[in-house]
Amino acid sequence: MPAVRFSLLMLLLSLFSLVAIAQKPACECFVKGVVKDRHTGQPIVGATVLIVGQSNGVFTDENGRYELRNLCPGNYTLECRIIGYNPFQQKIDLTAGHEENFNLLEQEVHLKDVEITAHRTDAPSSQPLTTISGADLDKTRGQTLGESLKGVTGVTTLQTGSSIAKPVIHGLHSNRVLIMNNGIRQEGQQWGSEHAPELDPFIATRISVVKGAAGVRYGSDAIGGVILVEPEELPVDKPITGELNAVGFSNGRQGVLSGTVQGGLNFVKGFGWRAQGTIKRGGNIRTPNYFLDNTGISENNFSLAAGYRHKGLGIDVFYSRFDTQIGIFSGSHIGSVTDLLNVIKNGEPFVKSGFSYAINRPNQNATHELLKAETHYHFNDGNRIQWTIARQYNNRNEFDLHRPRNDSIAALNHPELTFKLTSLTNDVVWDHKPIAAKISGQVGVSTLYQYNLMSGRPLIPNFNQFNIGLFWIERYVTSKWELEAGLRYDYRTLKTYRIVNREKIADHFDFGNFSGTAGATRNFSERFSARVNLGTAWRAPNVSELFSDGVHHGAAAYEKGDATLQPEKALNSIASVKYVAPKWSVEVGGYYNYIFDFIYLKPQPEPILTIRGAFPYFKYTQTDASFKGIDVSGSWEFMKRTTVSSKLTYLRVYDERNDGYLVMIPPNRLDNALKYQLADRGKWKDGFISVGNLLVAEQKRVPANSDFLPPPKAYSLWSLQAGATLKVSEKQQLEIGINVQNVFNTVYRDYLNRFRYYADDMGRNASLRLKWKFGA
Amino acid sequence: MKMNRKLTWMLLAAMTTAFVQCKDSGEDLKPDDENELITSVTLKFIEQGTSNVSTFSYKDADGDGGNAPTKFDTIALKPNTTYTLAIELLDESKSPADDITKEVEEESDEHLFVYTPTPAALLTYTYGDKDKNNYPIGLTGSAKTGAAGDGKLKVQLRHQPGAKNGTPTPGSDDVNLDFILKVK
Repeated sequence: MPAVRFSLLMLLLSLFSLVAIAQKPACECFVKGVVKDRHTGQPIVGATVLIVGQSNGVFTDENGRYELRNLCPGNYTLECRIIGYNPFQQKIDLTAGHEENFNLLEQEVHLKDVEITAHRTDAPSSQPLTTISGADLDKTRGQTLGESLKGVTGVTTLQTGSSIAKPVIHGLHSNRVLIMNNGIRQEGQQWGSEHAPELDPFIATRISVVKGAAGVRYGSDAIGGVILVEPEELPVDKPITGELNAVGFSNGRQGVLSGTVQGGLNFVKGFGWRAQGTIKRGGNIRTPNYFLDNTGISENNFSLAAGYRHKGLGIDVFYSRFDTQIGIFSGSHIGSVTDLLNVIKNGEPFVKSGFSYAINRPNQNATHELLKAETHYHFNDGNRIQWTIARQYNNRNEFDLHRPRNDSIAALNHPELTFKLTSLTNDVVWDHKPIAAKISGQVGVSTLYQYNLMSGRPLIPNFNQFNIGLFWIERYVTSKWELEAGLRYDYRTLKTYRIVNREKIADHFDFGNFSGTAGATRNFSERFSARVNLGTAWRAPNVSELFSDGVHHGAAAYEKGDATLQPEKALNSIASVKYVAPKWSVEVGGYYNYIFDFIYLKPQPEPILTIRGAFPYFKYTQTDASFKGIDVSGSWEFMKRTTVSSKLTYLRVYDERNDGYLVMIPPNRLDNALKYQLADRGKWKDGFISVGNLLVAEQKRVPANSDFLPPPKAYSLWSLQAGATLKVSEKQQLEIGINVQNVFNTVYRDYLNRFRYYADDMGRNASLRLKWKFGA
Repeated sequence: MKMNRKLTWMLLAAMTTAFVQCKDSGEDLKPDDENELITSVTLKFIEQGTSNVSTFSYKDADGDGGNAPTKFDTIALKPNTTYTLAIELLDESKSPADDITKEVEEESDEHLFVYTPTPAALLTYTYGDKDKNNYPIGLTGSAKTGAAGDGKLKVQLRHQPGAKNGTPTPGSDDVNLDFILKVK
């Protein structure tokens, strides 16, 4: 498996000294310092340090030292770039007052500690990476992972009602989007469109989206993109700090409480720990005109982490448990096509309800446990090795609306479907020492062993799966150019066991595939950069695509798998340009993703007869599909404190083999916001008010006669937000946020909400968010 | 450097231990006998005043998918005749076969059979049983045929836990079959 994410941050501890000489007051200042790895204290070789707006930049030498000379006094922004790290900027404020002061104190060296933390991600640097952290992440608190990512250009959600949301990147989702939870690939029953990722976003302080195929670093399945969920680096030898988040939502009367405490140990040097927990309770969701029966949610999650650092050695242990119970809207249970057509004709659900927190049938509960241990060692010569092992256990139970008719069986209250998936992953990654201070790279091996146990209604088989991947990536970095290339080979063997007519049948599959990536980033100036990446990824057909055979009740369709399916292969090209000026910025990206042997459900001409009547019949089939799209985002501070920002997500998908469109492709959308930044007043900081509008177009590119209901009409939703931070004391602060979604209680349905046949989408939802940080 | 090499070997040795936990999912596979299916529906028409019995069935012994239904009879009845109609549901994927009729009877306050002929004049169905709430069930009843003609008879089993009100609207279909009906 990929990787090993090194949550490893880096701390650029730079002492910079400014020397002003009386005789030559201007342009004789310099900044110098050392770039070090926070874990080890080892110097980092080959990092770029530059002054934003000027063309001069320097590299750190073999001792991690850098020096920028001949600077004039003034305001500067210092930027540090390291391969595979997000660039980090730090403002240096040299006001006229300081200058005078320096002039008075001739030759005095003014020292100031500047702590810069930059996060390392393993994502290809030439691929677009959008990160949500800090205040932006805070605004999404209390929502599911899928919902939290909705604000990212190019990302939409596939929903089952309001409580189950799966992220969709550039039109791809489920098994085509990989989620890296704290460096471990999240392994659940991702194939199911109503199976949301089982992880608590409160674990993360950063959530990043890598758009486009990233198969080389992350292995199979990363066809559409990768979502990186990363917690903060452990606070080794730091005092105890913490935060408490409380969020209340009006719709569903949902409450979320989450707390984190972390710190070091006084008596053990090099030790850091963290404990975190979240509880969530919500009741029936209300659409503008009616409640949706049985749409409550309950969640209890916690995680524990501890780490030890000594010289070059680092050891981290992490355990998390996610436990959720989600009510499924009872009006979405249908037995036959007639039932579905009746609901559609009625225009609203037959099942009416008031508000309740109770979760009855149908419902699903899922627990996900992750135990991870990671060790890394930095050799003195600059080499680094990292080894990560993890065990995940995903236990999913689904209860149908109806209990078994037989009383003695019903009394057992067993779920109609149970999936127990255990995954063991093992990764060893070697980062070789920089060559000529310009070339860095890594070689790694990832393995995955997985077994699935299934009981209840036959849906997918039991299976054992083993996967091994070998990869090699090299990067060449100068101040103007970043070039990277990589290669990977994966081999997967899959054994399935199922019962057909009371006989056990075993099947065996082997898949092998190469993936490659090549990319370049060009920094034309501090403001202007461009990047281009060509990547491939692959995905072996999953067990549901191989062996489905039955009615999918949520979709009123009979779905049949095909055991002869071949792996999908994606060739993705993506290019973007970015210009950042002081008052405005714009980023334009375009992509062309061609997927060979794209697996999809193809409607069959004849319906299939079952005891519940005839159902439309779909077979998993392969075609070649192209995904072309544009992501545009921009912002402009057109008046003092007032910023307008826009995001456009445009996607066109075409079935190249059959000359047609594909179903379930997210419609185009335009997101606009106007934000007014309030002036700081006393202890109140960072206040803002913003108003937003989301326009979602009607999806008109759908195959003819492929659905019971045409895609819903376009809709426009307004939102309001406000927030501020109260500095209670040096060590305590309180953040307050108010958010109103769907302000005008607009009635709408979304094409990618699977409940669009049955009911409207969620009505107005106001939320209040409080975050109390202490000890910071 | 010696220390480094030692550490590397230690890591590699530790790595090999990571796969001792291999389990085979094939051993845990067994048929699920708690899972209820309806695989066959049999309609028994008894001509009133006689002992003439005609039965018509739908059978799909392995449930949805797999093999196609093995039997889907055409209902052939005499015109202007009154029949007693009884229905029987079985789960033949189990051995011995499970009698689902009995279970429907036990939970009759959650179930409703609906018989819908098209055209409507072909057959008139009258419920012959009631549940504890005085709502019809439809396990037995009478069917009176009209003049000769061809059409369909839709047989539905509505599962209506907690919502049964005597109309077909609440709940969802457990059975929904369109038999071809010939009255001649």
